Amino acid sequence: MAAGGSTAHRTYSFKVVLLGEGCVGKTSLVLRYCENKFNDKHITTLQASFLTKKLNITGKRVNLAIWDTAGQERFHALGPIYYRDSNGAILVYDITDEDSFQKVKNWVKELRKMLGNEICLCIVGNKIDLEKERHVSVEEAEAYAESVGAKHYHTSAKLNKGIEELFLDLCKRMMETAQVEERSKGNGTSHASTGRRGVQIIDDEPQAAAAAGGCCSTG
Amino acid sequence: MSQRSERRGIHVDQSELLCKKGCGYYGNAAWQGLCSKCWREEYQRARQKQIQEDWELAEKLQREEDAAYASSHGSQSQPSLTAFSKFEEKKTNEKTRKVTTVKKFFSPSSRSTTKKEKERDEEREKERERERERGEKVQGRRESHGETLLRDLKGIFTHSWEIGSPTEESHEAKSHSPSFVRQSSVETDQVSREFVDFLKSLKPGREIHKQSRAFVESMGNKSDLGADELSECVQDFYQNMSDRLLTHFKGSSEKVERVMDQVEKYIMTRLYKSVFCPETTDDEKKDLTTQHRIRALHWVTIQMLCVPVDEEIPEAADSVVKAITDIIEMDSKRVPRDKLACITSCSKHIFNAIKVTKKEPASADDFLPTLIYIVLKANPPRLQSNIQYITRFCNPSRLMSGEDGYYFTNLCCAVAFIEKLDAHSLNLSVEDFERHMCGGGGGGGDVSPRRRSESLSPWPLELLSALQERQRQVLEEARDLQAELQRWQEGVAREVQDILDKYPLEIKRHAAHAIDSENDENDRLPPPLQPQVFAG
Repeated sequence: MAAGGSTAHRTYSFKVVLLGEGCVGKTSLVLRYCENKFNDKHITTLQASFLTKKLNITGKRVNLAIWDTAGQERFHALGPIYYRDSNGAILVYDITDEDSFQKVKNWVKELRKMLGNEICLCIVGNKIDLEKERHVSVEEAEAYAESVGAKHYHTSAKLNKGIEELFLDLCKRMMETAQVEERSKGNGTSHASTGRRGVQIIDDEPQAAAAAGGCCSTG
Repeated sequence: MSQRSERRGIHVDQSELLCKKGCGYYGNAAWQGLCSKCWREEYQRARQKQIQEDWELAEKLQREEDAAYASSHGSQSQPSLTAFSKFEEKKTNEKTRKVTTVKKFFSPSSRSTTKKEKERDEEREKERERERERGEKVQGRRESHGETLLRDLKGIFTHSWEIGSPTEESHEAKSHSPSFVRQSSVETDQVSREFVDFLKSLKPGREIHKQSRAFVESMGNKSDLGADELSECVQDFYQNMSDRLLTHFKGSSEKVERVMDQVEKYIMTRLYKSVFCPETTDDEKKDLTTQHRIRALHWVTIQMLCVPVDEEIPEAADSVVKAITDIIEMDSKRVPRDKLACITSCSKHIFNAIKVTKKEPASADDFLPTLIYIVLKANPPRLQSNIQYITRFCNPSRLMSGEDGYYFTNLCCAVAFIEKLDAHSLNLSVEDFERHMCGGGGGGGDVSPRRRSESLSPWPLELLSALQERQRQVLEEARDLQAELQRWQEGVAREVQDILDKYPLEIKRHAAHAIDSENDENDRLPPPLQPQVFAG
């Protein structure tokens, strides 16, 4: 928290991608978090695919942008376009569906390969209100999460359990990662803001390349 | 007797009412006293003649234009002609097309020959006007007519010119590099004015303006750089500018963002021509590939993509149309941010369509397939070029985070998906997919968008050809029936005639005779009217 002093009033902006097979409850999860609503007829937002949340964590402002991704198998190959430059990823599976947990494993492998250790991973077992029908054992899931350097959470969008904690935890971890990065880069530049902009620009270059590759290389 | 009937009015009109051609039907003053049938024939003939004349006139003008170009090429005295010449020089191969356009220009309503009789009066009026105009034009043909033609042609070709040859634009940019900023269009001038107005309210406004202008001018000399280098230059400039604003002028980040938006607008409006789809890249080729790909996929239906939109609901269908319009409109914007705004607006319409159908907020699982569907239906012009342009020259802070960035990423995904799309991604068997692609390849070009949008479950080709065969039969039989009807009609007419011959009508010697004697040729007609009856 050494860097915290010099940038007391600055705002963090984080991009978090939401990955998971269809029907695991990704949308319910974010809607519960951002609107505190579940299967509500009065949900005002037009869409739940891009949501933002402003937080204040230990006196620092955090802008969270949550990117939902299409979970269908046929869109699997598009993953890299979505999750490039993201600071965090939330990988959701359904505890009653073994298959969805396997999908999470695939994504973890991919994310680590593409983005290395800079991305904070959260593995989320959703629908714990259906504990009776559980098909993914708690021990297995937690052991796996630890083995890949991710954190494991249990949530229920229906009962509003574990969701606040999940996002708060993730934000804290992303802030730490950002500060570590800032310190290592901050040595070269005097201004914190320059460092931050610098990070963004560096991010931009591979992004441009990835766009070229993703969209156009395979005609 | 005739005196008496003349007084009665009806009888005076009798002869006038009939068609002038003497076909026996009634005529109409509006059709110059002809009956509808004769008038149509007459009118058609006149039109054909006029079209022919117009055509000849157009060709003659074309020749004169060419001659004028040849002579004025050295001096470059007439501004309008020069502009035309320049264009002409590059587009000589378009000549055939040009002639047809000229023809179209002269006869804008050639289709109207099939119009309803009611509208004929108006058309005649128009025709007379055209004739009058033509008279005037023939007098001042070199000037007025030539210029109209020119303007028209230029208007028609500007668009394809831009698409067709980016080489030309960059050539222009290169050859005028120091001054090309100045010779920019009305649009850029207006943007500049707005930019200056905006900066007036800011303390560092003068400085920002100076830097931006210097940057644009320096970019003019760099047009031979590759697209990636250009992108780097622009991105560096954004970076430096926002850093300066943040540190030296102590602006809040929101304020800096607002200024940066204006800076982006100013410089990109000016640089657009030289950096959009530059010749150093193969963006244009990719555009064509994508366009053909989308065209070949015209058979893809809403069901295959599992799009959660029910186009039966009017509001949903309306939103779909709006989304398509927005995504197509993207190409017409110059500033990357404006292009992004089009994508965002398109996405909002998609969300609305989904919400109307599903009654719940759309997730990415719903959104992406729908966006893919919209892109397939819209086939937006220069899609790849636009995506590249935005990626290269948009202010990164906007593209990286924020809603616009999310929708843009989804568009990239949609395009990537369309390029890689195969049988598996549509839940089709490989054979089905191949058959669709082959079937599509053969007749893909001429399937109307309407048909494509309706695209019901794709019918097997055999069924279609069977239907075609049946239609042919129906047509044949209809023709037979028509012939038979005609024969029958003739037969009946003959029989009636026979009977009439056998038992000729005996016309009683009455007053009616006096009328009939006036027009002997109508002997065979039944007595038209019995004035006595009316006279009571």
